[in-house]
Amino acid sequence: MVPAVLRRGCKNYPTQEKISKKMEEMYGTTYDCGIEKTGDNHVIKFYTESIGDEFLPQKEELLKKQIELLLDIVFNPVLENGKFVEEYVTSEKENIRQKIEAKIDNKEQYAVDKCIELMYGNAPYSLYKYGYIEDLASITNEIVFNRYKEIIQEAKIDIYVSGNVEENVFDYIKGKLEQLGLSGRTPKYIQNNETTEKKARVEEKYEETKLDVAQGKLVLGLDILKNEPNSRFAVNMYNVILGESATSKLFQNVREKASLAYTARSTYTRQKNNIFIKCGIEIPNKQKALDIIKEQLEDMKNGNFSEEDIQNAKSYMLNGIKSVEEEQDTEITYYMGQEFSGLNTSLDEYQKQIEQITKDQIVDIAKNTQINTILFLRN
Amino acid sequence: MQVIENSKVKEKVYIEKLENGMTFMCIPKKHTEKKYVIWGTHYGSNDNKFIVPGEEKVTEVPNGVAHFLEHKMFEQENKPNSLDVLTALGVEANAYTTNDHTAYLFEATNNFYEALDELMDYFQHPYFTDQNVEKEKGIIDQEIRMYEDYPEWKVYLNAIGDMYQKHPIRIDITGTSETISHINKEILYGCYKTFYHPANTIMVVCGDFVPEEILKEVKKRLLPKELQPEIKRIETDEPNEIKQKMSIQKMEASIPLFTIAYKDVKPSTDIVKKHIAIEILLGILIGKSSKLYQTLYEKDLLKNEPDLDYEFSKDYAHVLIMGTSNNPQEMEKLFLNEVEQLKKDGINNDDFTRNKRKVYGDFIRGYNDVSEIARTFLADSFKGINSFDYLEEYEAVSKEYAEQVLMEVFNENKEVLSIVEK
Repeated sequence: MVPAVLRRGCKNYPTQEKISKKMEEMYGTTYDCGIEKTGDNHVIKFYTESIGDEFLPQKEELLKKQIELLLDIVFNPVLENGKFVEEYVTSEKENIRQKIEAKIDNKEQYAVDKCIELMYGNAPYSLYKYGYIEDLASITNEIVFNRYKEIIQEAKIDIYVSGNVEENVFDYIKGKLEQLGLSGRTPKYIQNNETTEKKARVEEKYEETKLDVAQGKLVLGLDILKNEPNSRFAVNMYNVILGESATSKLFQNVREKASLAYTARSTYTRQKNNIFIKCGIEIPNKQKALDIIKEQLEDMKNGNFSEEDIQNAKSYMLNGIKSVEEEQDTEITYYMGQEFSGLNTSLDEYQKQIEQITKDQIVDIAKNTQINTILFLRN
Repeated sequence: MQVIENSKVKEKVYIEKLENGMTFMCIPKKHTEKKYVIWGTHYGSNDNKFIVPGEEKVTEVPNGVAHFLEHKMFEQENKPNSLDVLTALGVEANAYTTNDHTAYLFEATNNFYEALDELMDYFQHPYFTDQNVEKEKGIIDQEIRMYEDYPEWKVYLNAIGDMYQKHPIRIDITGTSETISHINKEILYGCYKTFYHPANTIMVVCGDFVPEEILKEVKKRLLPKELQPEIKRIETDEPNEIKQKMSIQKMEASIPLFTIAYKDVKPSTDIVKKHIAIEILLGILIGKSSKLYQTLYEKDLLKNEPDLDYEFSKDYAHVLIMGTSNNPQEMEKLFLNEVEQLKKDGINNDDFTRNKRKVYGDFIRGYNDVSEIARTFLADSFKGINSFDYLEEYEAVSKEYAEQVLMEVFNENKEVLSIVEK
């Protein structure tokens, strides 16, 4: 609710309409906010993108205007009787209700979220990022406003700027933060990385969830049982060989050889030491797909992959690392992830670490991987 | 090489028409690590009825062949699959099929020329067998099934089906399980021979290139080919009228999805100018700063800005407004009222200026990333447009012109509403 209400207006631009008009005047500067889970942190993001001054008919200092506007939205909300505007709160509750209900619309993501929910039980990471309908009725303006004040006082606040920017922008932002009384705080947040995410040995769970789908969505949530510093690099390599790239075992065996799926891949959620395998299959083919997937996991444990597979995975990773700074969104996401893990790995260091990974290290990861939960979304 | 420069975005495009009829374009971009190449053929899901050069009879193929070919082009004789080879080189390779073209691409920060070898090799050496064609049917079936679970795809496709009576754009790009069951290697080879001739293709590269050098490298990798006479595509006689006003499909979705669409006439020479005007008009009508958007938001009829688009190729054009709403029919009513009101009142100067600026920013932003640049130039070229035209024509779009377009295009008789709901 907090970003949803803040988005509606600030002191200088108290309505959505006024903010949008201002953005259009600034050559279609875009602005939005969102919320996501990064490890055990609930992260609220406000972001804006604009074109560089060199592409404008006249000098406008758009970047400074953008920063000013964004800070205004976050730190100077429109208030009414010492709280948020009631109308905004009521209307955004409806918006959030729709967002919560909309989780069934993206069937693949819904299946992954269900799997996470089952894996994490009562732990905070199991929670859906927009919350639950049953809690919505009791959310009042006071609750939202008090939470907002807490966030401003306690939360970790980071600002990222990417682009062809002048050095003085840095000082400009620092000055603004001082004015807002934000320098020198000790923020509250949780660092998540491979050393903090310890998993217990568990029995594999299997669950089915029903929804009116044409295609079954199969998700396997895996725990990585390794907690040594820097083990993430070997897990990265393990995951690429297992299921991230087109030469991976899952793509080759589930899709290319068995023709069971169009999508068959895995992703590594570094902050929580998990790998998620996902594929879309015909519902009666579930057992066949599951058998092939498990065979691949066994193969990885037994070291049934070649030196060539390792080289391919390294090339794949290195291309990814080199591309980080080519796209501004990716770049910001990368550095934000580093900040939250408390590791601050530079891209050079990342590259060096990947280059050094050996087969033994990957097999070691494979042997320390367990299936925690299998979730099948079907009709 | 022909060089076209744009002063607004400060970029140049180098264009060369090769002897074999192929078009080559290079947009050099300094200070980027990423190199991007895309090779497209002017052949998409719409091209299912045509006359093979040199023949007289009309060939008709099952729906979904262009997309099927896209899947099978990576297969090689006595060699590993090209997608595997490219992935092993550490480049990101992909392919896609649209209504009017099919494209093969990769982006690389390393091994660019090795990857170019592979791309140009597989594009020029198809290898289809009964077995590898059969195997692909299971995979494409699952791709079709995946799209069946995307309400946003269904609501779009139904709107197209409401507007068009005969035009092949009505068909799903992938075809259906039934149509693809009839595809065999002979059909694939036949379509390959017709449509993958260099004269029917365009290659675009973007990145830190010297245009003359990369052109030389590309030429070196081209197999000699005789020029091919033009492919005759059998155009359908699409009436101007829409097929039906409205469609509703039941599907698992938390909130109804809607598409409001206007069927427009076939594009003519002023298409770029018209496109710009329509983007401005859509912003004025229902963009985030519009009165209507505020009203709809307050009434809980629209909680997110809808996607606004003007989609066209050589023989069709339509406006699309796509989003979610608690009550799409009520929201459509208010939208249509707004259109009529704007026609009556004319466009307000401030609204026009602001929305025009926004469109300018959107165009410039399109030049941020090598992949986006190359893809845009390719897609526009198949429509007969040079992408820089958008920046060139921008100034010429006046309020009066936009008002004229509003009258012509936003015609209630040509409007349809597609809904997908639970």
